Amino acid sequence: MAPTRILPRNTGFKPIGQNSSSLRKFFPGDEEDMDASSDLSVMADPEPQEIPPQSTADNAIERPHLEKPMPIQPTIGPVNEDTSLLPSSPLAPSRGSSVVMEEEPSEPTELQTARLSPQLQTPRQLDLDTNDTGASTPSVQTRSELYAILSQVGEGTFGKVYKAQNTVTKLHVALKRIRMESEKEGFPVTAMREVKLLQSLRHENVVRLYEMMVSNGSVYMVFEYMDHDLTGILSQSQFTFTDAHLKSLCKQMLAGLAYLHHKGVIHRDIKGSNILINNRGELKLADFGLARFYQKRRRSDYTNRVITLWYRPPELLFGATIYGPEVDMWSAGCIMLELFTKKPVFQGNDEIHQLDTIYRVIGTPTPDRWSDVANLPWYELVKPRDEIPNHFRDMFRKWMSQPALDLAERLLCYDPAARATAVQALEAPYFTQEEPFAVAPAGLATLQGEWHELETKRERAKKKRKNDIAIQ
Amino acid sequence: MATDFWCSSHYKRWIVDRATLRQTRADDLLYVDDPEYLDFLAIYFAELVAKLGKQLHLAQRAIATATVFFRRFYLKNSYCETDPFIVIAACCYLASKAEEWPVHIKNVVSDARRVFSQEPYNVKNFPSDNSKLAEMEFYLVDNLECDLTVFHPYRTLLALCKSVDGSEDPSAVQEEEAGEVGVGLSAEEGPRYWGTGEGQLELPPNGLQTAWFIVNDTYRSELCLLYPPHLIAIAAIYLTCIFHPATHETVAAVLASSGAAAAGAGGPADPPPRRSSRQAAERKKPAQDPLAFLAELNVSLPLVATIAQEIIAMYTLWERYREDGAPEAGTPAKGTPDSRRDDEPGPGGATVSPTILTAVLTKMREARMQDYAHQLQSSGRPVAVNRMLERTQAAG
Repeated sequence: MAPTRILPRNTGFKPIGQNSSSLRKFFPGDEEDMDASSDLSVMADPEPQEIPPQSTADNAIERPHLEKPMPIQPTIGPVNEDTSLLPSSPLAPSRGSSVVMEEEPSEPTELQTARLSPQLQTPRQLDLDTNDTGASTPSVQTRSELYAILSQVGEGTFGKVYKAQNTVTKLHVALKRIRMESEKEGFPVTAMREVKLLQSLRHENVVRLYEMMVSNGSVYMVFEYMDHDLTGILSQSQFTFTDAHLKSLCKQMLAGLAYLHHKGVIHRDIKGSNILINNRGELKLADFGLARFYQKRRRSDYTNRVITLWYRPPELLFGATIYGPEVDMWSAGCIMLELFTKKPVFQGNDEIHQLDTIYRVIGTPTPDRWSDVANLPWYELVKPRDEIPNHFRDMFRKWMSQPALDLAERLLCYDPAARATAVQALEAPYFTQEEPFAVAPAGLATLQGEWHELETKRERAKKKRKNDIAIQ
Repeated sequence: MATDFWCSSHYKRWIVDRATLRQTRADDLLYVDDPEYLDFLAIYFAELVAKLGKQLHLAQRAIATATVFFRRFYLKNSYCETDPFIVIAACCYLASKAEEWPVHIKNVVSDARRVFSQEPYNVKNFPSDNSKLAEMEFYLVDNLECDLTVFHPYRTLLALCKSVDGSEDPSAVQEEEAGEVGVGLSAEEGPRYWGTGEGQLELPPNGLQTAWFIVNDTYRSELCLLYPPHLIAIAAIYLTCIFHPATHETVAAVLASSGAAAAGAGGPADPPPRRSSRQAAERKKPAQDPLAFLAELNVSLPLVATIAQEIIAMYTLWERYREDGAPEAGTPAKGTPDSRRDDEPGPGGATVSPTILTAVLTKMREARMQDYAHQLQSSGRPVAVNRMLERTQAAG
């Protein structure tokens, strides 16, 4: 059940024909002495929703720092998310820990009270709100309190992702905050693409966008909550995936891609942290910040600076700017191997090294494997120096069955034109003939904790910090 | 299917009826002398959006989207309480992003300043600060409820008909203009929803172009808020059959011949087997009957007729809207705008120019501001003062 059904549809919704009080505050600015009138408009407005409960909420968020006996208090100040993440000078250790505390759900009581509220004061908010901060009392059911933020679970292309709870339905959702204040160009184009795309997509293997919400100077995307992501879930050791589970995950990913490609959408950032999994064992593709609609009949020119390096197909590494959904299929091939090996297969440091890493597994591209390779823009710059034979089957035989190897090989095909499409991949003998058939890993419900790449990274960072301290 | 129109926010939330539309102008009606000025303002603002859009070299589709954003914004706001000029700039900027036709915010600000500061608009206080536009864009997104996908009649037009221009092929450009396939009704999905799937209507040279221009013109009215875009497209095709000379000739010819055929054979030959009809079509092309084609579409024809009427009504109104300095054809001589405004408070059948409308708009906004100030004196301040008094009394 979607949380949107419970409360009046779309929290940001103003019945047509009614005025927006936030705008009223914006516009009378033509005249200098309209402050008082905007006060009036707030008083006259029966809807409490535009009154931000900001002062209290802000305190709640900042309190952890202030209560901590910090040795060098003044420099810490009201922690700004951006700057506080920068490791800076001698202060780094103490600041670092305070930030972690702020972001981690270690003190849930503090965070519970921190309703979805302005964590950052944008200049414009200060402008607009100076008049009514004193007068306003946070009311019980403002729209900003529809969701209570519980913790941060990820970092998207254009903003942080939080786990939150609908205060009415108690359902969990993921809130993705679109950063506006850092954007000189206003509403980020990437965010706009993601919003437009997701509003037009509906599939069991694509993450659902429930609604959009505007609250105190930020736009939030409200998603269905997914307990884990692929990187996180593969890094844990409590729950062991059977071959049937892995087959199911692979199949669900391909089904999602088949739907996207049918809809004329290229995802362009398929990777572990963008593949979400819930406790029912359902897999969904997420983060459409780089996705584009493409013309099925005509190939268009795009940027080749897409897809995280480790999952980037060779044609992009060779500089291709004219490409289609095949780029997603290479990434899918990388993910398929990762399901079995539990870690990314091609871990290059830069574009050249990435190609080298690929050569060392599946060999160098030859004209008979990839006829067009020599025509690609950067071929002369990055072409292989020595010929390396294909070691793929030798390397992965210990993890994967023959049909699985066959499919992976078709996905990791050098020639984009010969690479398996998502629909073709779903028809592979690996899914249709080989036993065991796919079974969703519903047993994940027994798994302790939630596994996201972010936590895995933090865990790693924490260990590293401990080690560093130990070394010192 | 989620990308189709019937599942979209455009259909579910942003098509309103006349009564609602009238209701949204209630505030403005209090401050305007003659309600007809509001209809002219609808044209005036659309022209401004198009002017700024052209200055920014936006695609027609982006300009159309900006216009729809503008109209949707004013479903919830009134002209007199806002600054329509910055709203127009924000609409153009947002539409450029939403339609993947990127322009830099700096250019939007500078072009908007240039266009709006000209006669007759004379907007001298347009903010030079990019952040003001970004802020307005944010409010715009909020008011639009993040519904940034807008459907336009262009794609329907291309799905339903083609031009038989042998020489140049404008369809490639128009294909580009009509938008990305995934966003709207894609070519392979489209006909199944509302068409017959029996091919396209072939229009004589420039016929499609005419229909395209009619669609462009509909944005000067509020039709995009009242009717689904595919119906507007069909109404545009219908009007092309009437107004476009070459198209009208084919229609007239078909009507004449079918009339003769009906008189001669009495009709039983009318529904021939499919295959033979197709062969017949191949043999002599002009046999295609545009009116029959429209009649076979799975849409409400009375509704299409209504829209066609409203488009004609828009043209009638637009006839009387004249850019300043434009030659006046066929209408009686008029005095200066100012003197005429003194003579007759309303437009009352005479022509209306942007100069007049700028004055009307300014007057509306000033009157609204005065009322604000008035309300403030009568109710706002005293309350605050009384409270303070109470507090001091309680303390004392």
